[in-house]
Amino acid sequence: MANRVILCIGTKKGLFVAESPGTRRRFALRGPFGAGVAVYAALADTRGTPRLYASSCNAFFGMKILRSTDLGKTFKETKSAPAFPKEDGRALANIWSLEAGDNRKELWCGVEPAALFKSGDGGDSWELVPGISNHEHARKWQPGNGGLCLHTVLRDGNRVHLGISTGGHYLSEDGGRTFAPANRGVGAGFLPDPFIEFGQCVHKIAGHPDAPGRFYMQNHGGFPEHPGVGVLRSDDHGHTWRSISKGLPSDFGFPIVVHPHDADTLYVVPLEPATRTCPGGTPAVWRSENGGGSWKKLALGLPRKESYFTVLRDALDLDHLQSPALYFGTTTGQLWIGRDGGEKWECLFDALPPIHCVKAAVV
Amino acid sequence: MTPRLTTAEPVDRTTTITVHVPAPLRTYCAGASELAFPATGLRALLEELERRHPALHRSICDETGTVRRHVNLFVNTSHMRDRNGLDTPLAPGDVVTIMTAVSGG
Repeated sequence: MANRVILCIGTKKGLFVAESPGTRRRFALRGPFGAGVAVYAALADTRGTPRLYASSCNAFFGMKILRSTDLGKTFKETKSAPAFPKEDGRALANIWSLEAGDNRKELWCGVEPAALFKSGDGGDSWELVPGISNHEHARKWQPGNGGLCLHTVLRDGNRVHLGISTGGHYLSEDGGRTFAPANRGVGAGFLPDPFIEFGQCVHKIAGHPDAPGRFYMQNHGGFPEHPGVGVLRSDDHGHTWRSISKGLPSDFGFPIVVHPHDADTLYVVPLEPATRTCPGGTPAVWRSENGGGSWKKLALGLPRKESYFTVLRDALDLDHLQSPALYFGTTTGQLWIGRDGGEKWECLFDALPPIHCVKAAVV
Repeated sequence: MTPRLTTAEPVDRTTTITVHVPAPLRTYCAGASELAFPATGLRALLEELERRHPALHRSICDETGTVRRHVNLFVNTSHMRDRNGLDTPLAPGDVVTIMTAVSGG
């Protein structure tokens, strides 16, 4: 089989790259790259000659972007990293999202404090996207536990969807020039009035090219007085959202992903809201095959007890092979593969540093 | 054995400030372990550093010009906070040492 699966694994202590033939029987691990430095965002850009990118969030020396043109055998820093203009007054605290843009070398980058940058040359130079970064709401957003981060950048033709914690979902319908909050139905259970214009703690948003206008959201749930605000669906390009959390053990969680070949199939990892760990110490990924109408627990091969890890917002992904596998990384440093779409789980690596993000690609 | 120091330019220590660069940052100044140029104060020295080695400066200061939280600047043997911060005056022959804090986990 010619295909290879590449996993970019961002951890507290650097980036690891795992590679396997398309059989996915064994993965070889390389790294850490940017050793000792936290990686919160990674991108496997398979447009043309594959390039791997990772944020390197150095607590000592600031933010860097790492780039590999040899499938993760070596990485070099790009010529520059996103930076606020000197007169802006804000300073970059973290890089949370790296996404491919329109043309071969276009990249988008979501950062903390919440702002958006764009590169037209593969990450060597960056410019602030003012429509959201200088939005009139920007100085009113509040940081969540992970910081005030712009963590989701989803592009759908001329529309750009952003997830900000805590700012909510913002939508551009002019290619990213202007943005407006689009949070109708997105609850903020931590506020006296939960249904506000903006300020929600959105955790992650996912969509599928075969279902334009449909999006799934993992919002900050877990509020008994506002049940169901955690897992949501929109069918109108994110203008309005409705709950699809019925049947889940908890509507709190961080990641949400969609099956690469089926827009009706999505996956979440429910967590206990108070501890942000596996409910009852029993980890499971939950799958819906009907767009959130019902859910099935996928736990075969996962620990049955005494497991209290967290799966963070970017630590769940799928590859794009004909029968995709899921991958998730834990804050306790385990990387799991769920073969046959999550039907059977196996631990690939059990002692990595705490895992922040996992990105899968087929090359 | 003391490693041989390298500099990016000729050094005249009687008229310049010497800047000691820690190993992780030498990649941003062509591998030099020390730099030397004239400056009358710490702020002016950092401004000159930004002109000559922008990537090195960015690793020491954030976009607002604030010295990063886990980076310590010493003037001779004194931390800049025990002198006058970025307004600390410098005299030819002074040595500024860039060091990382013992923070992390």
